[in-house]
Amino acid sequence: MTIGLEAFLGLSAVLFALGLYGAVSKRSAVMVLMSLELMAVAISLNMVAFSRFVTPEKMTGQFFAIFSMVVSAAEIGLGLALVVAIYRRARSIELPSLERLKG
Amino acid sequence: MSYVTAIPLLPAAAFLLLLPLSRKARNSAIWVAVVAIAMAFVLSVMAFAAVWPGGADLAKEPAYHASFPIAVVGDSTIDIGVMLDPFSAAMLVVVTLVALCVQLYSIGYMHRDGRIGWYYAVLSLFTAAMLALVLADNFLMLYLAWEIMGLCSYLLIGYWHEQEAPRRASIKAFLTTRVGDVGFAIGLFLMYVTVGSFEFDAVLGSAADWAPGVATAVALLLLFGAMGKSAQVPLHVWLPDAMAGPTPASALIHAATMVAAGVYLIVRAMPIFEASGIALHVVLGVGLVTALVGALLAAVQHDIKKVLAYSTISQLGYMFIALGAGSAVAGMYHLITHAFFKSLLFLGAGVIIHAYHTQDMRQMGGLARFLPVTTATFAVGSLALAGIFPFSGFWSKDEIVLVLVKDGYYIAAAIALLAAFMTAFYVARLWFRVFTGPRQTEGLHEAHRSMLAPMVLLALITAGIGFGGPALGDFFGYKIPWPDPAIAGVSSGVAVAGLLLGWWAYGRRSVVLNTRTLKMRAGFIYGMLSQKLYFDLAYEYLAIRPFVKAASGLAAFDLARVDKIVTGAGSAWSRIAGISELFDRHVVDGGVNGMARGAWVLGRKARSIQSGRIQSYQRFALASLILLLMLVVMKG
Repeated sequence: MTIGLEAFLGLSAVLFALGLYGAVSKRSAVMVLMSLELMAVAISLNMVAFSRFVTPEKMTGQFFAIFSMVVSAAEIGLGLALVVAIYRRARSIELPSLERLKG
Repeated sequence: MSYVTAIPLLPAAAFLLLLPLSRKARNSAIWVAVVAIAMAFVLSVMAFAAVWPGGADLAKEPAYHASFPIAVVGDSTIDIGVMLDPFSAAMLVVVTLVALCVQLYSIGYMHRDGRIGWYYAVLSLFTAAMLALVLADNFLMLYLAWEIMGLCSYLLIGYWHEQEAPRRASIKAFLTTRVGDVGFAIGLFLMYVTVGSFEFDAVLGSAADWAPGVATAVALLLLFGAMGKSAQVPLHVWLPDAMAGPTPASALIHAATMVAAGVYLIVRAMPIFEASGIALHVVLGVGLVTALVGALLAAVQHDIKKVLAYSTISQLGYMFIALGAGSAVAGMYHLITHAFFKSLLFLGAGVIIHAYHTQDMRQMGGLARFLPVTTATFAVGSLALAGIFPFSGFWSKDEIVLVLVKDGYYIAAAIALLAAFMTAFYVARLWFRVFTGPRQTEGLHEAHRSMLAPMVLLALITAGIGFGGPALGDFFGYKIPWPDPAIAGVSSGVAVAGLLLGWWAYGRRSVVLNTRTLKMRAGFIYGMLSQKLYFDLAYEYLAIRPFVKAASGLAAFDLARVDKIVTGAGSAWSRIAGISELFDRHVVDGGVNGMARGAWVLGRKARSIQSGRIQSYQRFALASLILLLMLVVMKG
C-alpha cells in the first residue's frame, strides 16, 4: 500500500489544528511559541507533500520547506529572547497577565 | 525803571525755587525767600524814591508803565502790565517792609516746625501776588493776583492741617471770600462788556460816561468782592477763624496786606464809585456797620488773636468809611498806618502766645515785668490802635473823622467815634488782662533778638509815621492837613474815655479778673456779642443747613429714583441675559458637550476590544479568517 497525498494532507491538517489550538489557548508563552512551531511544521509538511505528489520533477516545495525551517529557527531564537526579556520585567510569562497594552 | 517788574517776580522766583525741593532741603533753604523779599524791599524803596515827591500829576500819569500781551481773543488783546504811580509805590514799600519783618520774625517763631520751608514758600507766593496786585495796570491782572492770594490764604490758614480747626477755618475762609470773588468776577464781565477793556486808563477814564445804572452795578459788584477779601460785614466771618493759622502769617495776611487788597481795589476803582454816587453811600454804610460790629465783637473775645482779628475787621471798616466818604487818600492813609501797627500787634501776640503756650487771655497776666521789649512795642501798637497821640492810628483816624465832618456826614462821624471808643475799650481790656495783674504762669521768657528786631522796627515806624502824614498826602496828590484841634480833641477824648472804661472794668486792683460781673450787668448784650452777633449761626441755619438739607434731599432722590431706574434697567438686562444664558447652556454647550460625550462613550465601548491580551487578538483573527473563508466558499 502506498501512502497517498491525502494522508499527508490529513496529518498536516491535524498538526496545524493542534498548533492553532495551542497558540490560541495555552497560557504559557513558551507553549504558544511551540504551538506556532507546530503550525509552521504542518505547513512545511504540506508544501513538501504537494511538491512530491504534484510536481515531482521540481524541488520547489522542498526548498521552501528548508527556507521555512531556517526562518522558524531564527524566529524561535528571537521569540525565546523576548520571553526571557518579558520574564525579567514582569516576573511571569503567563500571557493572560500580560495586558499592559490594553486600550 | 524796568526793575519795577522784578519786584513781584523775586518772591515768585523764591516760591518756584522752593517748590520742587524735598522737605528737608526746603527747610534749610528758607534764606532764599528772605533774601528775595529783602531784595524786593530794596527795589521798592528805589521805586518809591523814583516817584518821590509824587503829586497829582503823577497820580494821573504813571511814572512807569509796561504791559505784555498774554492772550489774543478775536480782535482784542489781553494784556498784563505793571504800573508805578504814587499809590502803588507806597503800597510796594508797605507790603515788602511788613513781609520782610514777618519773614525775619518767622525764622525764630517757626524754627521748631518741621515744615517751615513750605511755610516760607507760600509766604513768598503770597507776597508776590500782593505785589503783583499792587502793581497791576488792569483789573484782570488784579483779579488774578487776588485769587492767588486767596489760595495762599487758604494754604496758610490750613497750615496745621493735621488739626480739625485749621482745616475747617481754611475751607471757611476760602468759600466765604469766594462768595465775594464771584461778585468781583461778574463785575469784571460787566466792565468788559461796557468798555471792552480791563485797563485802568480805559475803564476809569470812561467811567463818568457810563449809564448810571451800569456804573452802580459794576461798583456794587466790585464792592462785593472787596467785602469778601477785606472781611466786611456780612462776609467777615472767615477772618476770626483764620486765626487758626500761624501767627506771623496772620500778621502778614489777615492784618497788614491781603485784607487791604479790597480797600486797594476800591481805591483803584474810585472813579467808578464816584460815577455811581449811590455805591459810595453803600461803601460808607458797610464800613460803618463793620467798624462798629468788629469793635463790639472784639470786646468780648477771650482769644488774644481773635481780639486782634475783630479789631482788624473794625479797622478795615474804618478804611471803608473813608472810601465811602469819597476820600481814597484817607483810606490809603489808614491802610498804611494800620498795616504797620496791626502787624506789630500780631507779632507781639505771637511772642505772648509763645510765652504762655495758650491764646486764652483769661490764663494770662502780669507779663509786663518779664517781657520788657514786647511790652514796650505792644504798648506802641495798642496806643496806635486806640488812636492816642502821637502814634500812627491817631493821625489816620483823625483824618477819616475830619473827612466825614467836612463833608457833613455827622451821624457817620458819630458812629465812627463810637467805634473808636469801643476800640479803645477793648485795647485797654486786652492790655490789662495780659500785661498787668497777677502772674499766672512760671517760666515766662522774652523772645529771641531776631524776633524782637522786626517788632522794634515796626514800633518805631508806628510811632513816627504820623508826622509824615501831610508829606504822604502831597505824595498822593492830595492835601492831608495837620489834625484840626477841635476834632483831634474830641477823638482823643473819646479814645481816652474808652481806655479809662477798660481800666475801670479790667485794670483796677479791686476788680476780679473774670467776665462774671460784666455778664451780670449786661447779660443780654453780652450774650448776643459772645455769639458773634449770630452771624455764624445765621449762616449755619440760612445757608449751610438748607444747602446740606437740599443736598441730602437730592441724594435721597438719587437713591430712590435715579438709582432705581438704573438698577431696574440693570436687572431687566440681566433677565434677558438669563434667557440667552439658558440657550447657551443647553443648546450651544449642550451640542458641544454632547459630541464630546458621544465620542467618550464610543471610545469606552471600543477600548474593551483592545484588551492587550495577545491571544484574544489571535481569536479575533481566527474568527475573521473563518468568516472570510466561509464567505469565499459560499460565493464561489
